[in-house]
Amino acid sequence: MKKTLALLLAAAMTVSLAACGGNNSSTTTTAAAGETAAAATTGGQQETTAAAETQAAETQAAGAGSELAGTYDIVIWAPDAAVDLTKSQVDDFNSSNEYGITINATVEPVSEADAASNMITDVQAGGDLFFFAQDQLSRLIQAGAVSKLGTQAAEFARNSNNAASILAAQSGSDLYAYPLTADNGYFMYYDKSVVPEDHVDSLEDIIADCEAAGKNFSYELENAWYNAGVFFGTGCHSDWVTNDAGEFISIDDDFNSDKGLIAAKGIYKLVSSPIWVNSSNADFASGSAVVVTGTWNYATILEQLGDNFGVADLPSFNVDGTDYHIGSYSGCKLIGVKPQTDAVKGAAIQRLAQYLTNKECQLARFTEFGWGPSNKEALADPAVQADPTLSALNEQGSYAVPQPNIHGSWWDIAKVITTDVKATDGSDAALKACLEKYEESINAVFTMSDDVKNAFTVIGSINGDGWTLDLPMTAEGDVWTSNEAYEMEAGTEFKCRQGKAWDVAYPADNFVVETAGTYYVQLDAATGEVTLVPAS
Amino acid sequence: MNNTEKRHMGLKALNRVSNTGIYILLTVISVVWLIPFVFIVLQSFRVENTYQVGYVIPKQWGLQNYINLWNSDFKRWYLNTLIIALAAAVFQTIIQLCMSYTLSRFRFKLRGPLMRFMLILGMFPGMLTMIILYRVLSDLGLTQANAVPGLILVSVASSGMGYYVSKGFFDTIPKSLDEAARVDGATRLQVLYKIILPLAKPIVIYTILTAFMGPWGDYVFARYVAFGTSAGYNVAVGMYSWLTNDQINRMYTTFCAGGVIVAVPVTILFLCLQKYYVEGVTGGAVKG
Repeated sequence: MKKTLALLLAAAMTVSLAACGGNNSSTTTTAAAGETAAAATTGGQQETTAAAETQAAETQAAGAGSELAGTYDIVIWAPDAAVDLTKSQVDDFNSSNEYGITINATVEPVSEADAASNMITDVQAGGDLFFFAQDQLSRLIQAGAVSKLGTQAAEFARNSNNAASILAAQSGSDLYAYPLTADNGYFMYYDKSVVPEDHVDSLEDIIADCEAAGKNFSYELENAWYNAGVFFGTGCHSDWVTNDAGEFISIDDDFNSDKGLIAAKGIYKLVSSPIWVNSSNADFASGSAVVVTGTWNYATILEQLGDNFGVADLPSFNVDGTDYHIGSYSGCKLIGVKPQTDAVKGAAIQRLAQYLTNKECQLARFTEFGWGPSNKEALADPAVQADPTLSALNEQGSYAVPQPNIHGSWWDIAKVITTDVKATDGSDAALKACLEKYEESINAVFTMSDDVKNAFTVIGSINGDGWTLDLPMTAEGDVWTSNEAYEMEAGTEFKCRQGKAWDVAYPADNFVVETAGTYYVQLDAATGEVTLVPAS
Repeated sequence: MNNTEKRHMGLKALNRVSNTGIYILLTVISVVWLIPFVFIVLQSFRVENTYQVGYVIPKQWGLQNYINLWNSDFKRWYLNTLIIALAAAVFQTIIQLCMSYTLSRFRFKLRGPLMRFMLILGMFPGMLTMIILYRVLSDLGLTQANAVPGLILVSVASSGMGYYVSKGFFDTIPKSLDEAARVDGATRLQVLYKIILPLAKPIVIYTILTAFMGPWGDYVFARYVAFGTSAGYNVAVGMYSWLTNDQINRMYTTFCAGGVIVAVPVTILFLCLQKYYVEGVTGGAVKG
């Protein structure tokens, strides 16, 4: 009897457990699996960063070369068009390198634009050497998908490539990739039968010509890569600051300013016209007379326009009697090497990457696809100098801003400016509102709350600090007092500033301490008067 | 009399007017709906250049785009997609129909909890499990170049959970038929394929079609599993890789040709099986 009861009880317990498990089991298993996946990823990252470090050291050490001898199986990700050329260049490397390296490469077609998202899917299974566009560098560094260049490799890259392309491959003070091209910019293609050659310098003339001919003007201004150029043209800047780990620290941006307003007026001139098309494709066959795009559309546009083919740097627009030449971003494509667990293999792939970005290989790509080189010697080549698109890009170059590492969310924030500007009536107040909205969105990226923005802080040479550290203050009404008392020597200088910016800062000239002592700093925000209160 | 006659005619005329209006509206809608398809077919035969142009009718007609397609990796992608879709159609249909039959005809402990459990499990969005599934497949070595068996596994593995529609349909078939067959000595399996399935033809075809269509148009998961390896792509992933900035001018018309080739078998399949498809969708909606 007891036995049966015990059995029944046990059975009941199992059933109730199982019944509970019905709903729960799925969630718990998912969570557990999630954790393991996360653990696996972080583990992998640490591993790869560790590998990156050893490898960087190895690249430095491996000057002798012979120790690199061997056969290595690797996967290369190159854009579809360049697959065959890359294969033959790898063969050339195998037969010509002095280290005895034989690379057995599988070349997969992966677009430069997709490389980062593909790499981040699974770094371990990704390509060992890959072509990518520079805007992906931060993501790749953070995912541990690209290895830091050793001292010698970095020196080689710095010596052989132009400054803008080095900037593109750099995060903090380290290089993470080899420049491949320096042609990722845009300029203007136009139809000579619609826009006469002497009109190409003025945006207003071009718009008038297009309107008269009933032709479109393709300029992808609803894309931050293009509309930021208009702001650069009026002297604005937008710089993101990254640290060595590829993380974004802050932004320095003045699009919401008087200069920015002029740029917004310039954008309004074009987008308010019915001939504006938001596109950067080769649109000459579908009704456009002007297209702002880059070298990648050259062959197609040449075919579309034939004798009427025209190419120039971007035009100027006129606001209140002053001409502003539209600026642009100039960018690069890079070759990255994935960190390897086998340091020798990593060093061998670095050699291949150096070979693939040297003068001869860059010139071969220029001849075959018209990719503009970043190599200084290749840039001096007469054939490169004579190329019409590259010379237009070169002319535009004096107005172009080298594209730094940019926070991924900025592209979506900045492109909205154009959409907003188009919806306005073109008045100063309405345009200003668009820029204010932009600034708010940008500041939100770093989630700077109102409290932080309104708070005053003390900054200066206190405690031997060189104006880098903001010391907190607390408010009582309008009177702000520093949270701590600081020991100050005679001659110590400081200021109180609001929101960690210099727009509002007291006193106008630096406060200079006359007598050494330990003081609280006190500020009356209503009058702007700064006083020292000795600590008792 | 005369009066009523007149009013009668008036109604008829009114009918005709409203019918004409409706037909005009329907024609306009169907033209709007068909334009993209006609456009793609016409573009796929355009050979004077390979980029996007502002007109629809080709200036030179030819098959060059289809030849390009044949010479590219497209063959491989098409075969991959076909293998995945056919395998999914076969296995998923078998598993799903067996599941539905079991849940409809058998009475066993936990039948209710099991059905509820699967219903709840089915409410989790599949996308949530993508990263975990990728990890599992990657550990099994079924990603990148081996993406095809991996994708088959994923699409077949959970197919038992899609039992609702066909179970609902099976429930409408009188149980006395089963019993009669059982009395005559048929096994459970024989009941399923000799009695139930012939009666449930629409739902079988509906199951096959939906099982086939899932992997045929899959992009997100296929791309995730096969990333960066052309040999493992399906058509959607492969063709999308032609649309990047540096390739679209070279591949645009080829892309259109690919679109046509992808659409053809599905269109034929649907045209032939349309009758059953509609019956299947509505037939299973009867509460069971």
